[in-house]
Amino acid sequence: MLDAVAVAIQRWPIVGRRSELDVFERALGADGCAGLMIAGPAGVGKTRLADECREWAAAGDHPTERVVGSRTTAVLPLGAVAGLLAAGLGRLDADGQLNTVTLFEETRRALRERHQGRRLITVADDMWLLDTASVALLGYLADRAAIFLIGTVRTGEPVPDLLTGLWRDGRLERVDLQDLNATQLDTLLHLALGGPMEAGAQQEIWNITRGNPLYVHELVLGGLESRALVERSGVWHLEDRLPSTSRLRDLVEQRIVGLTAEARSVVELLALCQPLELDYLETAVSIEVLESLERAGLITVAVADGTVSLAHPLHGEVVRAALPKLRARTIWLAEAERLEALDQSPGPAALRIAVWRLDAGGRPEPAILLHGAHLARYAHDFRLVRRLISAVPDEQLDAIGALLLGEALYELGDFDASEQILARGQELPCGESVALRLAVTRAKNAHWGLCQPDMALKINNDARAVVTSEPLAEEIEADEAAILTFSGEPEQALEVLDRIAGSGQRTGVVRAISEAVALAATGRTARAIAVAEAGFANHMELGDELAIAHPATHVINQVFALTEAGRLSEAEQLARAGAEIVAANRVPIAQIWFAANLGRVVTLQGRIATARRYYAEAAGLAEANHFAGPRRLALSGLALTQAMLGDAEAAEQALRERVAVPDFGFLRPEQQLADAWTAVATRQPGKAAELFLDAAAQARASGHRTSESWLLHDLMRTSTHDESGRLLELADTCDSPLVAARARHAAAIRARDAGALSRAADEFEALGAKLLAAEAAAGAAEAYTRAGDQRAATAARRRSSALAAECEGASTPRLALPAGAVPLSGREREIARLAAEGVASKDIAERLYLSVRTVNNHLQHVYTKLGVTSRADLARALENDS
Amino acid sequence: MTPEQITLVQSSFKRLEPQLPALATRFYEELFGRDPDLRQLFTTDMALQKVRFTEKLTEIVWAIPRLGELLAHTRALGARHVGYGVRVSDYRTVGEALLAALAAVLGDDFDAQTREAWAIAYNLVAESMLDGAASVRPIRA
Repeated sequence: MLDAVAVAIQRWPIVGRRSELDVFERALGADGCAGLMIAGPAGVGKTRLADECREWAAAGDHPTERVVGSRTTAVLPLGAVAGLLAAGLGRLDADGQLNTVTLFEETRRALRERHQGRRLITVADDMWLLDTASVALLGYLADRAAIFLIGTVRTGEPVPDLLTGLWRDGRLERVDLQDLNATQLDTLLHLALGGPMEAGAQQEIWNITRGNPLYVHELVLGGLESRALVERSGVWHLEDRLPSTSRLRDLVEQRIVGLTAEARSVVELLALCQPLELDYLETAVSIEVLESLERAGLITVAVADGTVSLAHPLHGEVVRAALPKLRARTIWLAEAERLEALDQSPGPAALRIAVWRLDAGGRPEPAILLHGAHLARYAHDFRLVRRLISAVPDEQLDAIGALLLGEALYELGDFDASEQILARGQELPCGESVALRLAVTRAKNAHWGLCQPDMALKINNDARAVVTSEPLAEEIEADEAAILTFSGEPEQALEVLDRIAGSGQRTGVVRAISEAVALAATGRTARAIAVAEAGFANHMELGDELAIAHPATHVINQVFALTEAGRLSEAEQLARAGAEIVAANRVPIAQIWFAANLGRVVTLQGRIATARRYYAEAAGLAEANHFAGPRRLALSGLALTQAMLGDAEAAEQALRERVAVPDFGFLRPEQQLADAWTAVATRQPGKAAELFLDAAAQARASGHRTSESWLLHDLMRTSTHDESGRLLELADTCDSPLVAARARHAAAIRARDAGALSRAADEFEALGAKLLAAEAAAGAAEAYTRAGDQRAATAARRRSSALAAECEGASTPRLALPAGAVPLSGREREIARLAAEGVASKDIAERLYLSVRTVNNHLQHVYTKLGVTSRADLARALENDS
Repeated sequence: MTPEQITLVQSSFKRLEPQLPALATRFYEELFGRDPDLRQLFTTDMALQKVRFTEKLTEIVWAIPRLGELLAHTRALGARHVGYGVRVSDYRTVGEALLAALAAVLGDDFDAQTREAWAIAYNLVAESMLDGAASVRPIRA
C-alpha cells in the first residue's frame, strides 16, 4: 500500500477537471483559436490544469514553454518571458530607439523557425502579474499562431487589456474552475492515498478544505509528514488533529518551516530564480533531497525540458515573504554571477540576470536597463522608465537615456527634474535626430509643464544650431508653430507653417497638430477639419514614436475644429467616442482634452449642467496629472458654466482656485468668458462688459476669430452693447455657420426685428445650440409684443420656454420671460378646455348660458394669448400652459 | 471511499446478481432515453453488448478494494472508449443512467446510503477511465 502512495503522490492526481482538459484539446485543434484562459480563485487548480494541458501537448510532440507572472519578474519588461525571446532582445535603430514591433516580429519568426512552424504551447501562469510588455508579446505571438497561449487568471483580476482583442474576436477559450464537490474530493483522496479512508477523516478534510484542491494537497501531504494521517490494514485513519488553521497560506508556511535546511535552500533558490535546470540543481544538492521535495509536492520537474519549478505560485509567495532581504540578495547575486559565467551573450539570459540584480538592489548593465526602459516606455509605464534609468550611474547615462528619463519625468509631472535631465542630455554627444527629440521634449516640458512658452520658444530656437539637415530641421519650425498655437498665437503660427517647404512624414504629423487648431481658431474650419483627419491617418501610419504627441491629439483637434464650425453634435459624438478609447488606454492628457472639449461643445449646445460636469472632470484629471495649462482652461470652463447656471458663489470659487494656476496662453481670451459671466451672475454689468471687450480685443490681436465672435456675441447677450458690425465682419472672414448665426442674431437684436430674431432662433436650433435659440426666440417674443402681434409673441415665448427647458437650468439674462405674457382668465380657460375637447361653440354657449358670439370672442382671445390658430393646437397648448 | 461504502456497493451488487440482465436492459433504456444520439456509438449486437456490460461491471465492482488492479483495468477501458467515440461529457450521462437502473432494479434496497456509495464508486471509476482516455493522444503537432 505504501508503495502505491509513493507512486500516487509523485504525481498528485487530477480529479474533476476532465471536461476542462477536453476544452483545451478541442481549442488546440480548432481553427483560429489562439489560447485558453483558465480562471478561478486561489488554490482551485489553475496552475495544475495549465501544466496538465502542457504535458498533454508535450506528449503529442508539441514544443512547450512556461512563464510565470510574479511581483518580482514584473519589474523588468519582458523579464518574465525571457525564455520566449528566441531572437534576442531586439536591436536599437539608428536613432537609438528600440522598435518594439520589430522585436516582436523577430521573436515570432525565430520561434516559428526554431519549432519548424509548430505552435509553441505556452503556459503563462498568474498572467495577471505579468508586465504589460510581456502580455503584449504573448498576445502578439498568440494572434499570429507562433504560440498557443494557456493563461491562468485569478478570479477578480481582470483579463489583461492587451488580450481583449483576442477575446472580442472569440479566439480565446475560457474555463472557470470551481472547488471540488464532496464526491470529487472523495475520489481525489482515494486516488492520492491509494485506498479507502474512514468516514470521520474524510469529513474532517472536507470541513477544513471545502474542496479547494491546493488546500487538500497541502493538508494531506502535511498530514502524511506529521503522521496525523496513517494507513492501517489498508484504510486511512486520522490519528491526530490536522492543522487547525483556516488559512491556506498558514498551512503552506507550516509545511515550509518543517523542511530540512538543505531542502529549504532549494525551495528558496527556486522561489527567487525559477525555473532552474535539474542538472544544475543536482550539483547543488543531493538527488535524495530533490526527490523528497518532489514527493512532498513542493517542486515539479517539467518532463518537456528538464527544468524544475515550485509546484505552486503560492509556495513561492510564502517563501519570498519569509526570506530575509539580505539572504535574498545573496542568492540573486550568486545566481546572476553563475549565469553570467555560463552565458555572455546579450540575450534572454542577460535579461534574467538584470532582473535578479535589480531585485537584489544591485546595478545591472546599463544597456539592459535602457533596453527595459524602452519596453516600459512602449507600455506607457513611465514610473518603470524612471526607476530603470535612475539605476544607471550618472556618468554612464547617454543622451537617449536622458531623453527617456526626461520624457518620463514630464509625463509624471516632475517638470523641474525633467528640465534638468533634458538640459544635461543636450550636452551629451548624440546624433541630430536624438538632439532634435531632446530639444522638442524639453520645449514641450517648458511649455506645457513649466507653463513658460517664451522659454519653450528659446529652447526650440537654440536647436537650430545643432539640427541643420532636412527633414529634421523643418520639424523645429513645426514645433515653433505648435508652441505659438498653444500659447494663443494662431496667426503667427500659420505664418511659421507657411515657411515649411518640405514634406517629411514626421514633420507632416507634427505640423498637422498645430495647423488644425490654428486654422480653426482663425475661422478656416473646413480646412482645419481636413488637416486633423489627415494628421490622424498619417500618424497611425508613422507608429508611436518618441517625442511626438499621442495620435489621439488629432482627434481632439478635429473635435475642436468641428465645434468652431458649429457642427456641434458631430463634435460631441467624436469626442465621446475618443474619450472612451483614451480612458481605456489610460492616456490622461488626452482624457483631459477630450473632457475639456466636451465641456466647450456642450456649453455651446446649452446643456450647461452637463458641460459643468465635463469641465469638472477635466479639472480633476488635470490636477491629478499635473497639467497646469489644461487645468486653467478647465477651471475657467467650470466658472463659466456655474455662472451661466446662476450660481455666482460656485463661479467665484472656481475663479479663486484658478488664481493659483499659472497663466496659460492657449484660448486665453476665451478663458476670460469665465470672469465676464461671473460678473454677469454677480450683477456687475459694467465690469462684465469691460471684461468681454478686453478679451475680444485680445482675440482680435492674435487673429483668434472664432473666440472673438463668441466673446462679442456673449457681450450682446448680456448687455445693451451693440457689436453687430464687428460680428458681421467676422462672419465674412470665417467659414463657420456658428459665427454667421451669431452675426445675424446680433443684427436682429440691433434692428429689434422680430422676424429676423425668429430666424436666428431657427438657425441656432438647427446647429443644436439650444440656449442661444431659446434666447433668440425670447427676443422675438419681445419684439412681437412691441409690434402688437400678441399671437406671434405667445408662440415665440412658448418656443423659447420649450428650448430653455432643454438647457438644464441655464439662467441667462435674455432667457427671462419678456413682459406681455398674459395668463388666461378663468372663463377663457373654461371655454378653451371645452373647445379642446371638441365641443362646438354652439354647445359651449348653451352649457355656459352665453351667446355664441361671446364664446367665439373668448376663443379668439385664447388663441391670441396661447399663440395658436386652430382647435387642434389648443389641447397641446393648454397642457403646456396649466 | 470509506470501507463501509465499498462493502455497501459489493453487497448490493451481490443482491442483484440474478437480475443482471434486467439491470443491463434497464441501463441502456435509461442511457438512450437521456441521449438518443449515443445509440449510434453501439455498432455490435445489443444482446452481446449487454453481456459485455455485465461482465465489466462485475469485474470492476469486485476490484474496488484492490486499487492497483482497479486502476489498470479502468484506465485500459477508458482508453478503449476513446476509440468508440465516447466524449468526456458522456460520462455524466452514463453515471445518471447507471444510478437510475440500479434504483429501478433494487427498489427499496437502494436507499440513500447505497445510492451515495454507488455514486462515489462511479466517480472513482469514471475519473480513472478518463485518465486512461487522456493517455490516448489524437492531436499531434
